[in-house]
Amino acid sequence: MNIFECMRVAIRGLISNKMRTMLTMLGIIIGVAVTILVVAIGEGASARVQQTVADLGTNLLTIWNGPPSMHIAPAAALAASSGTSATSSNGVPVPPQAPNRLTLQQAEFIQQNFKQTVAAVSPIIRGNVQIRMGGTNATTNLQGVETTYPFVNNASVELGSFFTQSDVDGNAKVCVVGETVVNNMTGSPYTNVLGRSIYINKQEFKILGVLTPKGTGAWGQDQDDVILCPITTAMHRILHRNLTVDFMGVRCTSVKMMPLATQQIASYLRVEHHLQPPFPQNDDFEIHSATEILQRQQSITGTMTTLLSIVAVISLVVGGIGIMNIMLVSVTERTREIGIRKAIGATPRDILLQFLIESSTISLLGGIIGIALGVTGAVILAKVGGWNVIVDPSSVVAALVVSAGVGVFFGIYPASKAAGLHPIEALRFE
Amino acid sequence: MSEVESKQAQPMLSLRDIRKSYVMGDQVVNALDGVDIDIYPGEFVAIMGPSGSGKSTLMHIIGCLDAPSSGSYLLDGIEVAEMDDYELANVRNKKIGFVFQGFNLLARTSAQQNVELPLVYGRRKDRAERAIAALEKVGLGNRLDHKPNQLSGGQQQRVAIARALASDPLIILADEPTGNLASLQSEEIMQIFQELNDEGITIVMVTHEPDIGKHCKRTVTIKDGRLLRDELVENRVMAADVLVEMRQEHDLLHTA
Repeated sequence: MNIFECMRVAIRGLISNKMRTMLTMLGIIIGVAVTILVVAIGEGASARVQQTVADLGTNLLTIWNGPPSMHIAPAAALAASSGTSATSSNGVPVPPQAPNRLTLQQAEFIQQNFKQTVAAVSPIIRGNVQIRMGGTNATTNLQGVETTYPFVNNASVELGSFFTQSDVDGNAKVCVVGETVVNNMTGSPYTNVLGRSIYINKQEFKILGVLTPKGTGAWGQDQDDVILCPITTAMHRILHRNLTVDFMGVRCTSVKMMPLATQQIASYLRVEHHLQPPFPQNDDFEIHSATEILQRQQSITGTMTTLLSIVAVISLVVGGIGIMNIMLVSVTERTREIGIRKAIGATPRDILLQFLIESSTISLLGGIIGIALGVTGAVILAKVGGWNVIVDPSSVVAALVVSAGVGVFFGIYPASKAAGLHPIEALRFE
Repeated sequence: MSEVESKQAQPMLSLRDIRKSYVMGDQVVNALDGVDIDIYPGEFVAIMGPSGSGKSTLMHIIGCLDAPSSGSYLLDGIEVAEMDDYELANVRNKKIGFVFQGFNLLARTSAQQNVELPLVYGRRKDRAERAIAALEKVGLGNRLDHKPNQLSGGQQQRVAIARALASDPLIILADEPTGNLASLQSEEIMQIFQELNDEGITIVMVTHEPDIGKHCKRTVTIKDGRLLRDELVENRVMAADVLVEMRQEHDLLHTA
């Protein structure tokens, strides 16, 4: 009996027991679907982080306020920096006021005095604001920035222009808006809003330009739901903070210069903040590089993937035991059939093969359904949830191979039991 | 028997001092206690005896479904008693065709597929043609796609005969082939066996019904695991004649 013949017999048997087959396959289906989905999400997440880091550039440093122990997670902070609203939206509480804050003067000092290592510094102050345009209201993220912002943060203006140094010096009420803001205010992302007025916390601002869309960020946030205005305007007119900034981006002259830049900035800030050793324990600021964030994110993704893979493996093993169970029932039920087959010349090997093919057909079918579900789930997550998911073909192949293997492994015992039946006893079985 | 022996010098089956014992609890049961039989090509033998006489055990040994505890069994000149499972499976597939009391067809499987099954295990290429030819031979050429549950008992047994015939075996072994059938259907089955035997096919059948035994050419009677009688059938019953009578009676009943 060749393999295709066996398969046909197996599939016919499975079809005549639809409900049972379905339930038997469930474990495998869940295991494979979870695996596919987890791998797709993991791959998607790390690809997005890599993309973000590549966009920002590897020679970017960020300086944050606050003692390390009380500081918000850098991941969440970077997320906030690249566009979304408050830090607390990530479920991380905003730390209490640190004794020393980064200031505009410090940013200026770093910009002016470390020319060898630092190309540009972009201090940023941010806050949630109410915006209105015509009759439409919304909340968005306001970032007060210097003119260095486009260069340091790899941002650009798609339409119109960025504000100038004189706007910054003069606390001008001008702004540059993200595409999502345009869409929220006018109902279409393509409306020409250049020169129009927008009210930020009830103060009239003139729109100078629209930012080039950046899309969804590494943590799923909308990077285009943002308004940029001169940092001085944000400090004095909107957020009312005196010269302290939330964080600064530092574009180094090269990747090689980053360690030196970090060291120079740290020493300067320690003196400036009157800190006592030991360092870095007593630092009230943190300096991170983009690659560091990338590594951290990847290790988080890796841990998640490992955990969920263990769940998937357990599910596959449980599914396999389910298959073994149902195959044992099937062998008992079909004892007489096995007897008939043996009487007319089936060898033990023929019987073994038949049951092995049957069990691996169940698990392979389960695997295929699982793959279909997993891929569908990934597509839905991507379409509806806006997640970045990548279905890796090699994970699909691996899922197929593993599910067939589960069928073979857990089919061996029932199949050898069938193969070892004595023909006469099998024929007498009622 | 001497008449048969003179025709064919070489027996097709040769059993010598075949013994088979089982352990039942703390007792040893001798199902077969030294049986010698020779069966020659073209014979039509009925193995008879009361239940528990060992006739089924003998049938299983002849059919290579079971191995004797001791003794020699030459099938077509080859010693079978010492074969392993694979060799026995091959012998069952190529040299023996089985017909059982309970038909033993695969459920939910068409007549043709049932008949093809031994050919599938025998890795034969021409199985569709052979299966169709065998089914035509038993008069079921128009029932190829019927499943067992769509066929009467007599028709199911005819499918089983076709399955036994399909791989051109040396011998057909039938274990109480009419045991589950009404008398008319029994006669029809016996008619098929007689026709097949007339074509030269060797048939060995187990039965406890003397009437059925009368259809054969030779009866071997077993009792308590030993050979009691081995005789040629006198006044052999021809199923074709019985069927003519039965149908006349049937017609009379219905016209009256």
